[in-house]
Amino acid sequence: MLYDLIPHIINGLALGLLFALLALGFMLIIGVMEVINLAHGSLFALGAYIALVVMTPDGGLPFAFMQPYYDLPVIPRYIIALIVGPIVVGVVGMGLEICLRRTYGKDPLYGLLLTFGAAMVLEEGIREIWGSSEYALPIPRGISGGFIAGDLIYSNYRIYAAIFSAAMIGVLWVFLNKTPYGAVIKAGAHDSEMVRALGYNLKRLRLYVFAFGAALAAIAGIIMAPIWGIRPVVGVDAVVPAFVVIVLGGVGSFWGSVSAGILVGLVVGLTAAFLTDWSLLSMYLLLLAVVTFRARGLAGKASVLEA
Amino acid sequence: MQAMEYDKKQTAAWITPPMLIAFAVFATLPLWIETVGLYEYLAVEVLIWVIFAMGFNLLLGYGGLPSFGHGAFFGIGAYAFGLAQFNVWANLWFCLAAAIFVTAVIGGIAALFLSHRRGIYFALMTIAVGQIFYFIASKWTTVTGGEDGMLNIKRLPVDFGLVEFSIKSNVGLYYLTFGLFVVVTLLLWRLTNSPYGRVLRAMKQNETRVAFIGYSPRLYKWSVFTLSCAIAGLAGGLFAMAQEGAYINIMSLQWSGTIVLIVLIGGGFVSFWGPLLGVIFYFVSRDVLGAYTDTWLLWFGLIFMGLVMFKPDGLAGIWRDYIGGRKAKSEQSGNPATVASGR
Amino acid sequence: MAVFEAQHLHKRFGDQVVLEEINLSFEAGQLSGIMGPNGAGKTTCFNVLTGRYKPNRGKVVFEGKDITGLSPEAVVRKGISRSFQIMNLFDDYTALDNVVVALPQVRKRGFDVLHALDGHSETQDRASEILRRVGLAGREGANAKAMSYGERRALEIGVALATEPRILFVDEPTAGLGTEATAQLADLIRELKRSTTIVMIEHDMRFLFGLADQISVIHWGQVIAQGTPEELRGNKWVQRSNLGGLA
Repeated sequence: MLYDLIPHIINGLALGLLFALLALGFMLIIGVMEVINLAHGSLFALGAYIALVVMTPDGGLPFAFMQPYYDLPVIPRYIIALIVGPIVVGVVGMGLEICLRRTYGKDPLYGLLLTFGAAMVLEEGIREIWGSSEYALPIPRGISGGFIAGDLIYSNYRIYAAIFSAAMIGVLWVFLNKTPYGAVIKAGAHDSEMVRALGYNLKRLRLYVFAFGAALAAIAGIIMAPIWGIRPVVGVDAVVPAFVVIVLGGVGSFWGSVSAGILVGLVVGLTAAFLTDWSLLSMYLLLLAVVTFRARGLAGKASVLEA
Repeated sequence: MQAMEYDKKQTAAWITPPMLIAFAVFATLPLWIETVGLYEYLAVEVLIWVIFAMGFNLLLGYGGLPSFGHGAFFGIGAYAFGLAQFNVWANLWFCLAAAIFVTAVIGGIAALFLSHRRGIYFALMTIAVGQIFYFIASKWTTVTGGEDGMLNIKRLPVDFGLVEFSIKSNVGLYYLTFGLFVVVTLLLWRLTNSPYGRVLRAMKQNETRVAFIGYSPRLYKWSVFTLSCAIAGLAGGLFAMAQEGAYINIMSLQWSGTIVLIVLIGGGFVSFWGPLLGVIFYFVSRDVLGAYTDTWLLWFGLIFMGLVMFKPDGLAGIWRDYIGGRKAKSEQSGNPATVASGR
Repeated sequence: MAVFEAQHLHKRFGDQVVLEEINLSFEAGQLSGIMGPNGAGKTTCFNVLTGRYKPNRGKVVFEGKDITGLSPEAVVRKGISRSFQIMNLFDDYTALDNVVVALPQVRKRGFDVLHALDGHSETQDRASEILRRVGLAGREGANAKAMSYGERRALEIGVALATEPRILFVDEPTAGLGTEATAQLADLIRELKRSTTIVMIEHDMRFLFGLADQISVIHWGQVIAQGTPEELRGNKWVQRSNLGGLA
């Protein structure tokens, strides 16, 4: 019985690590800008669409002149997508941050509303450009398909997604903890005065951190694309788990978010195995239960969220 | 000058000039809506959403409690109306009362989980609560009809004992809605001008201090949430009749967010009438922009972003600034004595 | 006889102990002062006494009744009120409305949803009277947000007074005030002392020693000295802190 669960656990783990990756970008933005970025899911979706354009002419864009490029093998195109996607979405994130500047210092609700509007604009923009139908992102052969071990089938892609996300989380941790840039970001997360005192330009820091958070969302979007498919509404499907992970894990806690992400992924993955229809509900019930008993999540500190 | 701002002074009046204007406009709306190129059903829709939005603003604008799950309660009201009609007693008043009661009870239970939350945590929890109801409604197909919706909800006749009116026509339904709108407006007006309203607004400004002058913030949050759910239930019941069915999509996160957006665009933070302006703006833009482009929501979203950035007090705020500006101008050019005594 | 007592209070946040063991008692009709260095736990102590935090152990007794762990609103209803060091006002309300909403007769009507408060002359008069007492006569219509720092300090006390407390806790009322405003505040507190028991945290030693009947010194989460101002002048802890000018 337990043995039969292994593929589901791997699926849940892949999902959970992706949620964690998404949530960490979300949390960086909360930490430095004190803004709940409701457009985070839309940036996630946009990342997947950009990858689609980079990888195939199916994206529906009139890029026929790029045909020689589309004739390249899948692997280089996939790697280019993983680079171009986050950059484009990062630039969009910068644009959003510039809009957000007008809400700093006001009720955090205004930042929330502005990003809600941005989510609406991004989603409708995606619909306008790519239509409402679903696309599939081609992936290199090495990570597609599955294999059989014992009498169970494992998906190669899920294992790849789990490893890739775990690696990204690791890189992010090193970046935040072992580099001077990380130190500044963490200072900003605690105290914007401190950033100024350290002699950094807070305005620029916010711009880059937002872009960075958006880029992380794009990466998560590209990795998730083969699992969820590429649809305009995928943004909402993504932003909600990111919320749940943040609230569960506690704002400001790196490992809190990672463990909450894995927890959410496992709960969703395992519920999906037995009660397919109810898997997303389990996530909300988990949230309700944890927040009812632990107001600040598993490892949270007091934060702007309570203002 | 303060015409479009929450009144500094609370009034004992039941009826005020802006209220009379609103009543007059809506009372005559079916007579002229088609001459301005719109249609009767839109009037019904607008008025139902006005009821919903005004009840919601009690929570958002007065209580400072941003709920991103309120669409769920609108939907619950619609389902409750349908279920009461099919299974209990197909009487209009009974079914509306059932919609209000059921929504208030469910809202009251949800509020138990929400009433000790603050700020954005409150918002996040309302998202969770709204989504839970959304999923239950979408999966419990034997009761709600799931994605297909609950069909064939009837527009029940308005029964006054001796006389009975049919509301099968949109105009008939409109006037029923109008009557309820008047009642809801009067009650909300009194409520916002009562000690209760005063405490709500105090809580929005400083919840800690409210507790330290002897009020229980939990109790006030719980009661205002439940009350605004009850009003959402009434609007939902009416909407079920308008659509002749109850559908899941209004319970989604998008719609719950949209009602927040509507109320803020209108200026619910600064004016009692903000939600009304917001609803009119939303539905008229939908029809006017929608006539030109399929992606009207894109443009609407851009307008909304612009408002949050440049005019965060919404339409009511723009009106207030405009009137304030004109007054300042006339005072400048006018008698200096009036300038001195103006304040 | 002690009207308010704290017995063996202990409070920690996670593994950080803020109050080790606090024993305090305040006499009716007196002004009791609390002093101590920054971070000694004075404000946390106030927060435990007025219901903001529950102590991990210990007891708070007011007029012979155990009020430990009651919510702030329940504590206020027993006749205990407080002002804050970091001001907690209703910024969008006028000075008058700040006070009106805190009056017990308004609180009793808190769930009245039909009748207006304004034009209700009794509450207005009562609130104006309180504003006059704290030196804000004529400022009834001013928005709290638009008032000067000193006026906001006075209003902070006015709101606390409006709940008609039998014991009033005042947290650093002189913080940020100039000499003249401090002198006015001393007059106000002297006047309040005639009708209300007062407990005051204060950094300004001259101010505190001029007003208090009894002073407790808190350090490292404990009461390290207690006595009348005269007795404390000789205390080495007090001398070592910023009392130089007085001794």
